[in-house]
Amino acid sequence: MTAVRPSLPESIRAALAGKLSPVAERWKSFSQTRFGSVVARAFSTNAAWILLLLVVLMWLFNFLAPGKFLTEFNVRTMAVNVAVLLVIAVGETFVMATGGIDLSVGYVMLFAGVTSAQTMNWGGRNPTDSGWDVVLLGLAVALGSGLAWGILNGILVAKAKVPALIATLGTLGMSWGFAEILSNGQDIRYIPSIIGDMGSARYFFDKIPLVVIVASIVAIAGAVVLSFTKFGRYTLAIGSNQEAARRAGINVDWHLIKVYAMSGTLAGFAAFMSLAIFTTTTISGHANDNLQAIAAVVIGGTSLVGGVASVAGTTVGVCIPMVLFSGFTILGYQSFWRDVAVGAVLILAVYTDQLRRRRRERR
Amino acid sequence: MRIRTVTMMGLALITVAACSGSSATTAPASAAAKSYNLTLIQGVAGDPFYVTMACGAQAEADKEGVKLNITGGNKWDATVQKPVIDSVTAAKPDGVMVAPDDSKALLSPLKAMSDAGIKVTFVDTKLDDTSFAVSSIATDNLGGGTLAAQTLAKLINDKGTVLVVNVDPGISTTDARVQGFNDEMKKHPNITVLDIQYTHDDPTAATTITTSTLAAHPDLAGVFATNVQNAEGVATGLKQASNTVVKTIAFDAGPKQIEDLNAGIVQGLIAQDPYGIGVAGVQQTVLALKGQPTTSVIQTSLAALTKDNVTDPAMQKYLYKASCS
Repeated sequence: MTAVRPSLPESIRAALAGKLSPVAERWKSFSQTRFGSVVARAFSTNAAWILLLLVVLMWLFNFLAPGKFLTEFNVRTMAVNVAVLLVIAVGETFVMATGGIDLSVGYVMLFAGVTSAQTMNWGGRNPTDSGWDVVLLGLAVALGSGLAWGILNGILVAKAKVPALIATLGTLGMSWGFAEILSNGQDIRYIPSIIGDMGSARYFFDKIPLVVIVASIVAIAGAVVLSFTKFGRYTLAIGSNQEAARRAGINVDWHLIKVYAMSGTLAGFAAFMSLAIFTTTTISGHANDNLQAIAAVVIGGTSLVGGVASVAGTTVGVCIPMVLFSGFTILGYQSFWRDVAVGAVLILAVYTDQLRRRRRERR
Repeated sequence: MRIRTVTMMGLALITVAACSGSSATTAPASAAAKSYNLTLIQGVAGDPFYVTMACGAQAEADKEGVKLNITGGNKWDATVQKPVIDSVTAAKPDGVMVAPDDSKALLSPLKAMSDAGIKVTFVDTKLDDTSFAVSSIATDNLGGGTLAAQTLAKLINDKGTVLVVNVDPGISTTDARVQGFNDEMKKHPNITVLDIQYTHDDPTAATTITTSTLAAHPDLAGVFATNVQNAEGVATGLKQASNTVVKTIAFDAGPKQIEDLNAGIVQGLIAQDPYGIGVAGVQQTVLALKGQPTTSVIQTSLAALTKDNVTDPAMQKYLYKASCS
């Protein structure tokens, strides 16, 4: 009988297995405990692996640029720079969980920013010294504008049965156009100083910016709603199998309108946050916010066809491109390499998620 | 599968430990004071104006023996430039030359950069508040607008309808050019200036605006394009409409604009000296780092290029490059 020599990877595996088997045994018994099984389940989600990727990237950049990347200043500014995108991405997570997509978010944000700023400038008086009444009115207008576009999106998708991609592409153009018409193409550069102060305020020993706290609250609320409420469950059910959800008695049309309305309202809120950070409207900006939000949601493990979604994953997904952006800039690489890296990570993240999904289904 | 899980988790724990460990160390203090680290933050990467500025800055940096890093967003967008500015601040260079994309929105990140002890110099565009900057170096954009208006008025025999194609309001340079142009045109009663159009620095928008305006005003006599991207778009629009009557004055002299000038598609170019701006930017920043006196406002020169004088040796420095070699 001829002995078959094991191939190199097999022998490496065997050696590794030999070394690690006592550890594996410990892990097996640990994962059967209550706490251990929670940890094991956490690591079976995509969010955990994406978080691992984020940690590895941060470690890598810290190694390559010590004392520059992982400073309090840089971590804080990175967090501020993703706060607005995170709020939009939470809304986008819900929309994509239903199997839809919302391309209009960046431009609805633009529109909401314009209407809000114009309302606060009403009557031609300089709003810089305005009080809380004007600020709250501006916030209400921003939320209302976002809500209006969101409802329109929802009606188009649910009632008129226009495919989400097309419907939101249409509202993208319309909201941008209206924003330009209302503002005459000019940024509105005077907003109440209270708002600007909120944009730069920090709490908890002057360390955590208010906008980051607010974005975190939105993300946590979104995660709770998605995982623990009926609203969230219905959202995932619709994404998983719309017809089955309908037959199970869920009012699919009405629910879809609610989901798109939520996405629009969050875009309106994000607009107000953007006003706080930049102290002016930014009409020429936000061009790629929709695609960045979708990329973040997909990196985070939400399925493009709906049914599976994770707000925790989206939160990590929002951070990864920013970490790459900041790390590459600090290291002094040409700007365009950043874009290459973010695109590559997006594809890699989706690919590994697909692999894991397929392996899970096979078992 | 178990093994893999264990290995991955072990890796995670190690990385977390490494993170908390290494973030406690600080970078060693910079060595010789002579070799400063400077960074140039362009208004937008890839624009021939800013490429030429980078060439000038690099040449001056090599001459003075300082290190220069060049970066910029891929769009003219304050929301894209803010993370760039924040990351450059985190990288702790000694000095930064920056062309802010918006005169108000970027006040807070640039103030933070200055508060961190980094010398800030404005090149080309600037903020409304320049109190904390070492120097503001730009072309006399107001004068450039006036020159453009005078040249265009002469080309169209001092009567007709003209269109201004601008980028965005709130950009200090283009705003000044438009103001100079409008103020000068007020002195020409037979010229009607149409409502100003904005392109968000997108050449395809400029093309569409040009062709639509031609459709609405077939008697259009002249166009003023306020920067490189707009000039490209306007030229394409005129070519698409097969129009050879409209006289175009464009700001900036990129390689494509020089081609268009020679081909007769554009009749005049108001060229800045971005190379000179880059050189002056590095010079002022290094002076500030050495503790020597600086000049708070520097205006670099302009030239009106036409088909006749574009080959003059004196005019060569006004021609922008697409790459430094």
